[in-house]
Amino acid sequence: MRDGNLKIENRESKIENGLSRRAFLRLALLTGIAAGAGVIYKSTEAVGFERWFRWMVRGNLARLFAPNVHVALAACASYDADVHGSLHAAWQSAVMPDLRGARVVIKPNLVDFIGDVPCFTHPRVVQAMIHLARELGAREIVVAEGMTFRRDGQAVLDATGYAEMLEREQVAFVDLNYDDLVKIPLRGGYTRLKTLFVAKTVRDANILISLPKMKTHHWTQISASVKNLFGIVPGIKYGWPKNTLHFQGIPAVLAELADSLQARACAVVDGIVGLEGDGPLFGNAVPSGVIVAGADLLAVDATCARLMGFDPAQIDYLDFAAWAGIGVIDAGKIELAGESLARFQRKYEPPPKMG
Amino acid sequence: MEPTAAVLLALSDQTARARGCDFLLSLQHADGGWGIAALDTESGWMTAWAVRALVEFPEARAAVARGAQWLLATEGQRISDPDARRIIQELHKIDSALGGWPWQRGDAAWVHPTALAMLALAGTGEREHARVRAGVQYLFDRACPDGGWNIGNPWMLGKKIPATILDTAVALLALRAVGEGASDARVSAALRFSRDVLAGSKTPAELAWGTYALRGWNTDVGDAISRLNALQSADGSWSGNPLVTALAMLAIGA
Repeated sequence: MRDGNLKIENRESKIENGLSRRAFLRLALLTGIAAGAGVIYKSTEAVGFERWFRWMVRGNLARLFAPNVHVALAACASYDADVHGSLHAAWQSAVMPDLRGARVVIKPNLVDFIGDVPCFTHPRVVQAMIHLARELGAREIVVAEGMTFRRDGQAVLDATGYAEMLEREQVAFVDLNYDDLVKIPLRGGYTRLKTLFVAKTVRDANILISLPKMKTHHWTQISASVKNLFGIVPGIKYGWPKNTLHFQGIPAVLAELADSLQARACAVVDGIVGLEGDGPLFGNAVPSGVIVAGADLLAVDATCARLMGFDPAQIDYLDFAAWAGIGVIDAGKIELAGESLARFQRKYEPPPKMG
Repeated sequence: MEPTAAVLLALSDQTARARGCDFLLSLQHADGGWGIAALDTESGWMTAWAVRALVEFPEARAAVARGAQWLLATEGQRISDPDARRIIQELHKIDSALGGWPWQRGDAAWVHPTALAMLALAGTGEREHARVRAGVQYLFDRACPDGGWNIGNPWMLGKKIPATILDTAVALLALRAVGEGASDARVSAALRFSRDVLAGSKTPAELAWGTYALRGWNTDVGDAISRLNALQSADGSWSGNPLVTALAMLAIGA
């Protein structure tokens, strides 16, 4: 009976061209898969299917299996307060790299100086980081930056108070725009660039501490530890304002830099006074009273985004880099230490839209 | 590359000059251009420095001609799409359809490489070339509203971005080399800006570039030369930097 029923069903389900329903469904499924693969292939043509697939797999594996990361927040009411104490608290609460015996490069954001606009990392935070690195046993400490808009780095150091501070601390400054260069291969494949010139000082560092200002940015919505890495790219090769990188796509370049450096980088963010609105050069000061620290650059930036009232998933460079598995932006995977996020959260005015 | 080229302009010692000339010639690429150093296989803005420095060497005539050709064949990306052009006009108040020189091929044009390329081509007798005249237009379009030049963005979203003395100096040198006069309002504003800023400049690079450019325009530099002299190190250099030292020598007229 059963066979007979099946025969009847099969006969009844035959369609005009002679295909059984099962065969038709299989064909439809295969067609759907092929069409889906075709759409994926087509939509990933610009970067190449293989790369897209690699990033996608790595990202999903990281989201599923990677351990949680740590970000610490410490209160610091002003630059006249105990910046060193706050920085020390943040560093101890986050799981940060061991600096003993290390050659440490501290990379502040010295984008430019525009009147009283707090668009650059305050020198007192860098000074506190120098003291802390010494206490933690760093073998060698240099402060390094490659300014974006001015060829004369000394003018920026003078105007921002860095020259005096560095002289007092007897710490060398390396202008990354003019440093000896090394060509490094770019394995991420996020841009069309196969290699990138970087400053030798950065290449030779055991630990790179990205020490930016927490602010809004008209190209990337926010600027924190990852955007700060633009400064390691030498102007002498790529010019001012390092336009080649913009042409490659800012999220892609930031992914490339973060991916290349994440293993030996960490971040400390100057959020004592942030910058809202028309960053990175203009805008208004926002006293936020916080220092943010962590070893996962994306997690630190995602936390800064939340402190400024933005959703990290809506910020292109963070969303892309996290999707590709370079770091973590999901709040559920970021263990916050020290003070609570809510204490420092502000509603920063977003940057103006470009175009 | 850049320090060697600048030193060739500043030094009179024939042995050192011959060595510098050989060095630059050894770095020329097959396409006629120069990179930033031996490890850089891609030609870029350094071509302008090399051409400018080598033009005085008879043995470099062929190399200079090929370098000049590379410059003439290199242009910053120009925006022809009307919508994109309008957006850039709104953001920066610049005409992105104008042609200047990029730091490297494939990029947009910027003030510094444009001015250097104009200086180099003027040295090869091309000051009336259409590309050089277009460069003049480009520089005038990028002038800052309060005088002088920065990297090439005089405005950003309705806000003025200040000029810098270095960018202004190289632009002024280029305009002088291609025959522009001080009667143009943008030139006179740039000279005024340079004089004002130079009066408060403290860094050797700013003093050297600014003084060199202003003296090129026969403009009074106040006490800039004595302040520049005061910054010279015991070893004879300025900041231990060959580029800045060469520019300081050019500025002082040593």
